Amino acid sequence: MSVIEAKKITKIYNPKTVPVNALRGVDLTIEKGEFTAIVGPSGSGKTTLLNIIGGLDKPTDGSIRVDSQDITQLSDNQLIDFRQKKIGFVFQSYNLIPVLTVAENTEFVMLLQKRPKEEREKRTAELLDSVGLSDKKTKRPNQLSGGQQQRVAVARALAPKPAFILADEPTANLDSASVTNLLDIMEKLNREEGVTFVFSTHDQRVIDRARRVVTLVDGQIGSDEVRKLGN
Amino acid sequence: MIIKIAWRNIWRSRIRSIVVILSVAVGVWALSFVLSFSNGITYTYISNAIRDQLSHLQIHHPKFPEDKNSKYFLADVSKKLETIRQMPEVEAVTERVVATGMVSSARTARGVKIVGVNPETETKVTHFEKNIKEGEYFKADRHNEILLSQRTAEKLKVKLRSRIVLTFQNLDGEITSAAFRVVGLFNTGNMLTDEGVVYVESDDLNKNLIPQMAEGDSLSAEFPVNQDIAQEIAIFLKDSKMVGPVKEKLKTAFPDQLVEDYYELSPDIELYESQIHTSNSIIIVIFMLALIFGIINTMLMAVLERYKELGMLMAIGMNKLKIFTMIVMETLMLGLVAAPLGLGLGLLTIYLLQDKGIDLSNFAAGLERFGIDTTIFPVLDPALYFRIAIAVFITTLLASIYPARKAVKLQPVEALHKI
Repeated sequence: MSVIEAKKITKIYNPKTVPVNALRGVDLTIEKGEFTAIVGPSGSGKTTLLNIIGGLDKPTDGSIRVDSQDITQLSDNQLIDFRQKKIGFVFQSYNLIPVLTVAENTEFVMLLQKRPKEEREKRTAELLDSVGLSDKKTKRPNQLSGGQQQRVAVARALAPKPAFILADEPTANLDSASVTNLLDIMEKLNREEGVTFVFSTHDQRVIDRARRVVTLVDGQIGSDEVRKLGN
Repeated sequence: MIIKIAWRNIWRSRIRSIVVILSVAVGVWALSFVLSFSNGITYTYISNAIRDQLSHLQIHHPKFPEDKNSKYFLADVSKKLETIRQMPEVEAVTERVVATGMVSSARTARGVKIVGVNPETETKVTHFEKNIKEGEYFKADRHNEILLSQRTAEKLKVKLRSRIVLTFQNLDGEITSAAFRVVGLFNTGNMLTDEGVVYVESDDLNKNLIPQMAEGDSLSAEFPVNQDIAQEIAIFLKDSKMVGPVKEKLKTAFPDQLVEDYYELSPDIELYESQIHTSNSIIIVIFMLALIFGIINTMLMAVLERYKELGMLMAIGMNKLKIFTMIVMETLMLGLVAAPLGLGLGLLTIYLLQDKGIDLSNFAAGLERFGIDTTIFPVLDPALYFRIAIAVFITTLLASIYPARKAVKLQPVEALHKI
């Protein structure tokens, strides 16, 4: 079952003044349970593609279906709602809510969804356990290392059980040990719970562990390589 | 959760928030003080006017206020006074005989209102004796004594013990004169009273006002033979809040007479009150304007520096209404902390000044001319505090709208890539 179905996506910035073709007809389908890296040099359109897949930006042309729903037609507020339910975001610079504790950050989206307290607490405990941060529940983000913050971000992204996790350069600010640790956790979640991950990355360590690598060149898909499990 | 985030957000820039809170608090403090002060002026003016001149309620012949002619008198006064005294709300009541005439000394003459008072009951209603600055108040079993203001005495060039002559029309329309001896000089602090009114005893005045009947005279049908008449009855109540109900009672008891409260007796009180009310409102609006820009500035800063974070919140699914609410809450909370602080300071200041008052005699001797004491006691009015609290609420609410709109207008994709 495909989680993301992008067809003939084009994105032109400044169409009226100095047009920049960021994406030129990208077709991309991501199936449930994939662990996919979108790579490419700066300016190749990775971030644009990720923003469009994540419902943060709209394509100039083409259609995009997430979990069988066409998201190009949704209003701003509908998109916010959609992202809340279907997409888990992990950002390059962690982007946790600085005034909330680790546990509060993790349950934040569930709170927005008005889930019952018991469910929230149970899920938060599970998630923090799975990212190895059970002992940091009451800490604020600024009391954690970069790697730990990014693990909280993963836990937060997973909390509402989204269709997939979209991670924009998740390892860019981390040291090697933290990268390995984070990738171990994400791989485990992917393998054991079938969580779908889509990364944009420059990081060879991430690329090495991805099971599918989509390379963008000048706004088009240059190569799409599927590796065997265990590679 | 939004409340929790908003509250914690305020304390992220601790110093900035404290500065805003303090500036709002100082503003509220100053506002509450200024308004209590002007309330104090109004209150002293009105209570002085009631205490010294008007009393709470007065009864006249319906035609008297218009014409001021002594022939429009109240008959059977002692019966009326007794009825009024029976009312539990009444603290004191007195009757006054009023005539318009001329006071003349050996040197000059002036037109005046001659008020004949009952020396015993008058002091209970107006405490008039405290205004006597030289000489003394009326003494029992002496006759034809007169009290003048120091100002009038000066103009007439008379002193204590001088003899002066009052000339006025009696009830019959005949001009009548009587000599009086100056026993006391008063100063009420009100120029109009001081220059325009002289006081004698009601019996002395009535004696001259009621035509003396010669034998076989037929005037008795029209004029009373006894002295049980007066032109005015003044009533002082235990509680000024009871003016309305007592007025109704009096109207029922004396349907043919005119019963007026102090607002009707002195319309300038109402005018004065409404002017103070208007100027208070203007002060509040100026205060709100001064405050609003400071708050907008701070909140705008708070929004702009959190642009990326707000973009993230929208990205992960916090909708615009919630973002808007969060910013509005943050602003309101600043006001919510500041307002009680300012009001508390205001209360404390007023409490400290309650006994001593603020002595303005060095700056505003002219106040006395208008019947306002030179020592002002700020008056704490709960309604005023409520108005200030509402004003702060409205100000912060208005101030929050622009920053909150700015926050919800951001595009998460742009905000997230801001450094």
